Amino acid sequence: MDNIPAVANNPTNITTAEFVKLTIYNDATNPSDTTVYTFSSAYKYEEIDGQVYSPMGGLMAIGIQQRDLRATSSQTSISLSGISGDNIYLVLGTKVQGSIVQIIRGFYDENYNLTSYANRFTGIITAYNITEDRKDQTDNFTVTITANSFKTVLENRVTGRKTNRHSWQVVNPTDSAMNNVGSISGQWFDFGLPPGSTNAGAGIANPSGQATQGSLVPASRVQN
Amino acid sequence: MSTGLQTVINYSNTMLVDRRKVVGIQYTRNEIPRVTLTPTLNPWKFTFELPNSFRYSDARALMEQIDTLDQFTPQIVTFGDNPNLSWMFAYQGVMSPQMINNITVRSFAGNQLILQNLPAINAQAPLFLQNDLIQIAGHPYPFTSTTDVLRGTDTSVTITTNRPNIISSTVVGSNIVVGNQCQFNLFCPNMPKYKLVVGGQLVSNGQLINNALLNWSSGFLMYEFCGDA
Repeated sequence: MDNIPAVANNPTNITTAEFVKLTIYNDATNPSDTTVYTFSSAYKYEEIDGQVYSPMGGLMAIGIQQRDLRATSSQTSISLSGISGDNIYLVLGTKVQGSIVQIIRGFYDENYNLTSYANRFTGIITAYNITEDRKDQTDNFTVTITANSFKTVLENRVTGRKTNRHSWQVVNPTDSAMNNVGSISGQWFDFGLPPGSTNAGAGIANPSGQATQGSLVPASRVQN
Repeated sequence: MSTGLQTVINYSNTMLVDRRKVVGIQYTRNEIPRVTLTPTLNPWKFTFELPNSFRYSDARALMEQIDTLDQFTPQIVTFGDNPNLSWMFAYQGVMSPQMINNITVRSFAGNQLILQNLPAINAQAPLFLQNDLIQIAGHPYPFTSTTDVLRGTDTSVTITTNRPNIISSTVVGSNIVVGNQCQFNLFCPNMPKYKLVVGGQLVSNGQLINNALLNWSSGFLMYEFCGDA
């Protein structure tokens, strides 16, 4: 746990700013080919862990960030000024989806000096959105990027896999665990019978209900 | 006569000053306030109200300047150039202009402005009083002193300013400008519209000359234009 003097001893007044770091992977086959964007709601450039965060003025809002003791599926959003051309480029001109986003909360002392910080959210950009809000002569654009926690992304990844050779080898081409699964495709099997036991007189049943000699299926199932 | 926003300031009836910071306040069940502050640029915000007595024939230039500035163009204004306004933001300390011109910035971190090359005057002499404006020469943002600052005996003095140093370029070694010589870079995001109403007719050589008075749709909200500086 980070030591944060600014929020220790139950203070009634804290000064905080949000810092966002966006790591965009330019080439999926080369993890070192990245572009890092940093921005914050602070009033000046600040350095955190060797990374300089720009007060570019484009950061408009950061959504709610769930805080749990254990890893949970959570989501947050970051709103940027769409009037700034840089932000439009960020979502349209780069591979922003799949980028890693880190949100840090920084704490200031009474003289506006950054004294400590804490990591608030780490996840992956899964979507972006550009909205226009025009009222009379006021025309505003907002860029919103949505970030999911790693757990959510992993959940989506696992649920998308099938128990067949192709799906398994998409993740790891050398994985042979499912190579023989194809041979039992279409076979009907009744779980629950004690190992080694047979059911003499019963036949092998297939989903169509026709019995075949040597089946492990109880007779009662094949007689109906 | 100055143009545009400066004209509005020169002829305004009222001036509302808004220097509020961005805060969130919650009251607990036992009514203890919990406050969070976002360290923003904390721009100056003024609202000026013009009288509805401008004659159309006298305000043609002003109307065009206002329409040209529109809601987005910043303009530098000051309270020192107009003798009728120079009492406002007047410097309250004891230093002469020459003494002020010799002062340079030693450092400016957060809201702690440290000045050096100070005049050799009585240690109890006030260099700045609360609400005195201080601007780093060559940079656009005026700051105020939040406390009375006496000369003291050190080679430097520390001033706690109303907002942190929002100047992104280096200020060490720069001179300062104080009081009503400071300049504000303002724009008017709500630039009011004007309505012509009956009135203001003139008589020339016994002939009645048609005219109108200008009514303004609202006050002029002027917002300090803060960017990189």
